[in-house]
Amino acid sequence: MKATRPALAGVLALLGFLLVTTANSARADKRAAEPRKAQLVRIIETRRSQVGDLDAAVAKLRGQVGAAERKAARATQIDAAEAAAAEKLAVQAGTVAVRGRGLRVRLADAPKSARSPDDENAGRIHDVDVQLVVNALFSAGAEAIAINGNRVVATTAIRAAGDTLVVNFRPLRPPYRIDAIGADFTRFDRSEIAQRFHRWTTTFGLSYSARRQDSLTVPAFAGRVAIATAAPEGQGG
Amino acid sequence: MLAFLGLIIGAVVALLLRPTVPQEFSRYLAMAVIAAIDSSLGGTRAYLERTFNDRVFVLAFLSNAAVAALLVWIGDHLGVDLTTAVAVVFGVRIFQNLAALRRRVFGG
Repeated sequence: MKATRPALAGVLALLGFLLVTTANSARADKRAAEPRKAQLVRIIETRRSQVGDLDAAVAKLRGQVGAAERKAARATQIDAAEAAAAEKLAVQAGTVAVRGRGLRVRLADAPKSARSPDDENAGRIHDVDVQLVVNALFSAGAEAIAINGNRVVATTAIRAAGDTLVVNFRPLRPPYRIDAIGADFTRFDRSEIAQRFHRWTTTFGLSYSARRQDSLTVPAFAGRVAIATAAPEGQGG
Repeated sequence: MLAFLGLIIGAVVALLLRPTVPQEFSRYLAMAVIAAIDSSLGGTRAYLERTFNDRVFVLAFLSNAAVAALLVWIGDHLGVDLTTAVAVVFGVRIFQNLAALRRRVFGG
């Protein structure tokens, strides 16, 4: 019995050692996990504001390019018709900000208290809803549309990433404000989606409004517009 | 006495050295420690019941800790979180041992 005494002491020493080590490492784990979350949030916020700054820079540079082109056209006496055509194309492509009379549609999720707990999704604005509203606005004569300041162009995708609406690869937060220049109120209001939204405001508590606006500004598309790979058929490439 | 000295020395050494355990192993270590606490309580109980045997205690201590860590490791590889199972089993045993100790000491 006496011979194993040191072993007993050794085992207890091990116990003490392990106890303190585990306590330390558990604390370290918690410390390591917490800042990681905060770090991620910070990275996301920084990147988001970088994207915002770059969007603004793109818009500014596009404006400068447009002004320079106009000036060059005047200076070199290029056909005035061609310059006008280029400007028209820019409006259609969505690379310049436009202003005019139109409709402003506002969509928002139902307040949390109004949502039924077994059907959370019914009280939410989905990507499909926004797609349908945009389509209805276009068929009501809209010429330029922006969703929360994101210009809808030919290559724009309105989709959902999880519960977040993504337009032009920019995540949007509700409420959604859809500005449509040139859209006719009565034609839009007759559309199926507008009628449905009228019902949904009462059944699901969604918030919806469509109003005529005398002066709306739709910003220029900030994304890449150049089409590099695709070429018109019959012209080679 | 020597045994308690060992406990204190071990704790002091850990405090001084501040060894770090890689995060993926910390769960195994935690389970091993819970098993070790159970063993030491069992040892104390045996001592008070005068059935204490050094050799048995040392063996039980090491094997319990090893088996606890091993179980969690196997669970990880099988895709089952056995951490809770080990914690529950040894947690219950710790309370049983404590109850036995209380009866022994206070004669309740």
